[in-house]
Amino acid sequence: MANEEEVLINIDDVSKWYGEVQALDRISLEIHREDVSVICGPSGCGKSTLLRCINGLEEFQQGDVIVDGVSVKEVQNTKKIYKLRSKIGMVFQHFELYPHLTALENITLAPRKVFNMSKKEAREKGMELLKRVGIPEQAEKKPGELSGGQQQRVGIARAIAMDPQTIMFDEPTSALDPEMIRDVLEVMADLAEGGLTMIVVTHEMGFAKEVADEIVFMEDGQVVEHEGVETFFKNPESERAKEFVDRVLVHIK
Amino acid sequence: MGLDLSVISRNSTVLLGGFYTTIKLFALALAGGLPLGILLGLGRLSSRKWIYYPVSAYINFIRNVPLLMVIFWIYFALPIVTGHNIGRLPSAIVAFIVFEATYFGEIIRAGFQSVKKGEMQAAYSTGLTYTQVVRYILIPIGLRRVIPSLMTQTIVIFQDTSLAYVIGLREFVRASTVVNAREVRSLEIFGFVAVVYLVICLAGSMISNRLEVEGE
Repeated sequence: MANEEEVLINIDDVSKWYGEVQALDRISLEIHREDVSVICGPSGCGKSTLLRCINGLEEFQQGDVIVDGVSVKEVQNTKKIYKLRSKIGMVFQHFELYPHLTALENITLAPRKVFNMSKKEAREKGMELLKRVGIPEQAEKKPGELSGGQQQRVGIARAIAMDPQTIMFDEPTSALDPEMIRDVLEVMADLAEGGLTMIVVTHEMGFAKEVADEIVFMEDGQVVEHEGVETFFKNPESERAKEFVDRVLVHIK
Repeated sequence: MGLDLSVISRNSTVLLGGFYTTIKLFALALAGGLPLGILLGLGRLSSRKWIYYPVSAYINFIRNVPLLMVIFWIYFALPIVTGHNIGRLPSAIVAFIVFEATYFGEIIRAGFQSVKKGEMQAAYSTGLTYTQVVRYILIPIGLRRVIPSLMTQTIVIFQDTSLAYVIGLREFVRASTVVNAREVRSLEIFGFVAVVYLVICLAGSMISNRLEVEGE
């Protein structure tokens, strides 16, 4: 349920254009600490773009995002953005593992270079994380030798290796074969129990129903609805959300 | 009149000296050209106009003039600009670095462009800085993809070093003309020089082919 406590990420009236095309239209959202927020909506509605604005991978022209008291707009083109990003893990639709490094090295690169962790310590931690996502035996393999589901689990381990406050998932199961989707969703559900703040862009409404605290429904670069997960599925306010829920719920059954 | 191959061994000191100069010029041209090429490749992808335009102008200019001209310019113009003569070998080295870096730069740019944007974004999302992303992601992935082209260009540099004879540098080819002027045994001497270049360049292409196969 909506957590009335601390706001960790405050997205305040953010608009973004790619040339003439408006990708985000006055988005305002509050993400509470330790909540799991699922962002859904038709493709091309700006979900992924919104994630990339939160950690400054994409610039926005209007509004601001405050992450744990730090203004993304202010630090966007300064060195402080690196620190902000290290506190927000990110998992990608197409995994985006580094193809020249082993699974373990993919995980240890950032802790070693950003935190100056020793190689030994980083490897120990990396192995722990690989155990946590269930594939310690794949540590020395390159991404090209792993299945999609295994790659995504390495991607998740890489994202949590920096001990972030928040982790953002950008359609983490969309590129996976059906039988691998569940493995990845289980790892994500485990993480949610561990008290991470999670922002998940996904079409997996079963996952949303089970794990999410809040649902954000977006369309055409706007937030159409933002409410507790039960309200959203039982009694959505807008017509568009109603249609969407009807469609996906049929799909689940 | 038969072939007299003893002309080679009789003049081995001069020929070896020339060969040594060729190797030195080649190695230093490579050692300077490749790092400069990496910088040029980065510059060609820079979103900062004050980096992109000068770098592009430099590359387009140098790639559209003959190497021979560049060797002349550096040799004759540099003393006028700097006020002192730097000698034949150093000016040849500078000329080759200036010239070959532009070719390396364009090959490396293509390599960098083949690196997926998502892989870079993933690296940034973990908190790595620009310099770290370049060093640990962009360069290792991008360079690996263009190793065969870089090898081919390296072989071309090795052959190109013979052009330094125009400023009187006694590299391998010039050394052989010196020997020939004394011995008048063109067939043997230039035949020998050709074989040496052939063996080295063939070995280079074989390595390049193997790397290409491994790369796949």
